[in-house]
Amino acid sequence: MAHPSLADERTSFIRFAQTHQFVTLFGILLPLAVFAVFVGYPIVFTIYLSFFDWNGMAPEKTFVGLQNYRYLLFSDKYFYTALLNNVKWVGVTLSFPVLLGLIIAYGLRSRIIPMPALIRTVIFFPVTMSLISVGLMFLLILNPLFGAFDTILQSIGLGSLVMEWFGDYRIALYTLAVVSGWAFTGMPMILYFAGLGDVPQETFDAAKIEGAGHFRMLTQVAVPQLRPVTAVVVMLTLFESLRAFDLVAVMTKGAPFGSTNVLGYLVYLESFWNSRFGYGATLSVAILVISILMATFVMKKLMKGAFDV
Amino acid sequence: MSDVALMMRQRSLVAGKLIGLMLLAALVFVWLGPIILVVITSMKSNDAFLAGPFALPTEPTIAPYLTVWNALGFGPLLANSFLYASAGSALAVILALVPSFALSRFDVPGKKLIFGIILTGLMLPQQTVLIPLYDTLRALNLLDTRIGLIIVHAAYGMPAQILILRGFMTTIPREIEKAAFLEGATDFQVFWKVILPLSVPGIMVGFTLNFIAIWKEFVFGLVLLNSEANFPVTVGMLKLNSDRYMAVFNLPAAGLVISQIPIVILFLLSYRKLSSGNFAGAVKG
Repeated sequence: MAHPSLADERTSFIRFAQTHQFVTLFGILLPLAVFAVFVGYPIVFTIYLSFFDWNGMAPEKTFVGLQNYRYLLFSDKYFYTALLNNVKWVGVTLSFPVLLGLIIAYGLRSRIIPMPALIRTVIFFPVTMSLISVGLMFLLILNPLFGAFDTILQSIGLGSLVMEWFGDYRIALYTLAVVSGWAFTGMPMILYFAGLGDVPQETFDAAKIEGAGHFRMLTQVAVPQLRPVTAVVVMLTLFESLRAFDLVAVMTKGAPFGSTNVLGYLVYLESFWNSRFGYGATLSVAILVISILMATFVMKKLMKGAFDV
Repeated sequence: MSDVALMMRQRSLVAGKLIGLMLLAALVFVWLGPIILVVITSMKSNDAFLAGPFALPTEPTIAPYLTVWNALGFGPLLANSFLYASAGSALAVILALVPSFALSRFDVPGKKLIFGIILTGLMLPQQTVLIPLYDTLRALNLLDTRIGLIIVHAAYGMPAQILILRGFMTTIPREIEKAAFLEGATDFQVFWKVILPLSVPGIMVGFTLNFIAIWKEFVFGLVLLNSEANFPVTVGMLKLNSDRYMAVFNLPAAGLVISQIPIVILFLLSYRKLSSGNFAGAVKG
């Protein structure tokens, strides 16, 4: 397709607008206006604010140039901890819930696991739970005094594995990420389940005749066929992980020693607790840059064709 | 087939069944276990909990529910969440209807741009816009108001609704509207009389998903509201994580169950539709 010039676009838009007034007004201009007010303007304002010092209340904002960015890159040790934590969170989410979701979906489709309707319901249900509820629930389950998890570990002779799931700065973040994975698994599972339903049965039958076992069937037949689904799942996972906030807020509040801070939570702390709105905006810009890099990567490498319109 | 081979085949079939059942048990245990434990815990008195934290309640009681209901004010919290979820989703769906119609039926100039914008709205981490939204709502005197939060939820629900509804509307056959257009119907008439009535199932799915999303939502409620009277359930529940409530687990457990009941009902009513992956199709475009 030849690329139409901007002028051509404008002429064709005007022509369209004249013949389809209702559609233009409520179908294009209204959503664009909503977007401009609630997404476009906020992004621009965030970037603008990141060059200022502002306590959020005072009418005056002090222009400080790149000072916030210098502080972010060279002085703020919490920033790098939080950034690394987001990366770890992505790692956990891509391995545990996504991989497990794929395997469960395959297990259900290939009838290794009976009662697919029950399993799908049970595993998908936590997707509908608020992460605040999920967090509170696992505070109870993982409690050192009355928690079921430690008790189970002890009763099967794995008592030595019992840890301070939230108190130990080395593992608290992984605890959070795994809990979020528990709540998220249903999502990749049903997407993969639906995707596997679209793979022609003959493909699997042919592989079976060639003597493929379940492992080969999964890795060499299912996974390549599921590429578009994987693209969607990876995108969802990346952005879910970048948004991580609720579990941190309800379970650890960043403790111990800031070891469970994630970028999203840091923005909240700096802006609304420390009243450093300018610096909070700078952190937001950092998240924005990471999102754009991720989105570009996803679009270029994974989503080819998935959003053709 | 020899007897031995037949026996081995049967044995491996039995083994397969057994493995399947074990996997089934493990999955149900991991995903349903915590929820069942919470429900059990919520029906115990303090003494019963301390005597056996995991035992089935011998004398089930609703006392923890009454206590936590009054202590946290679950009545207003649930009412607020219900208002935010229903009004926010309704507004998001209404905003999304004509755009979905436009994108599924017309060769709108700038389609690519519109889709890019939708995706941006979908992917944008809320934390990056908290400060400007806070500032804008304050300027409009909508900070810490129910209507302010509803508007924000609607605006951020709209992109997903456009994807879902556009996906649904593309599946509506075009014969009827072609006839209507030939009869001289306007775009609005086709939208209102043909597409809208046929889109009801898609609207229901979109509304339900948005309702659940807003019910779960926490960040906007936390930042854009200050008065407890306006809090949704997710924000009000934060109180449960305090020494006062965490000493014995029956109260937080009861609070958890209360917060989830409306979604359980909605889920049971609609999970077939939701878990069929229909909206996955919408996401895939």
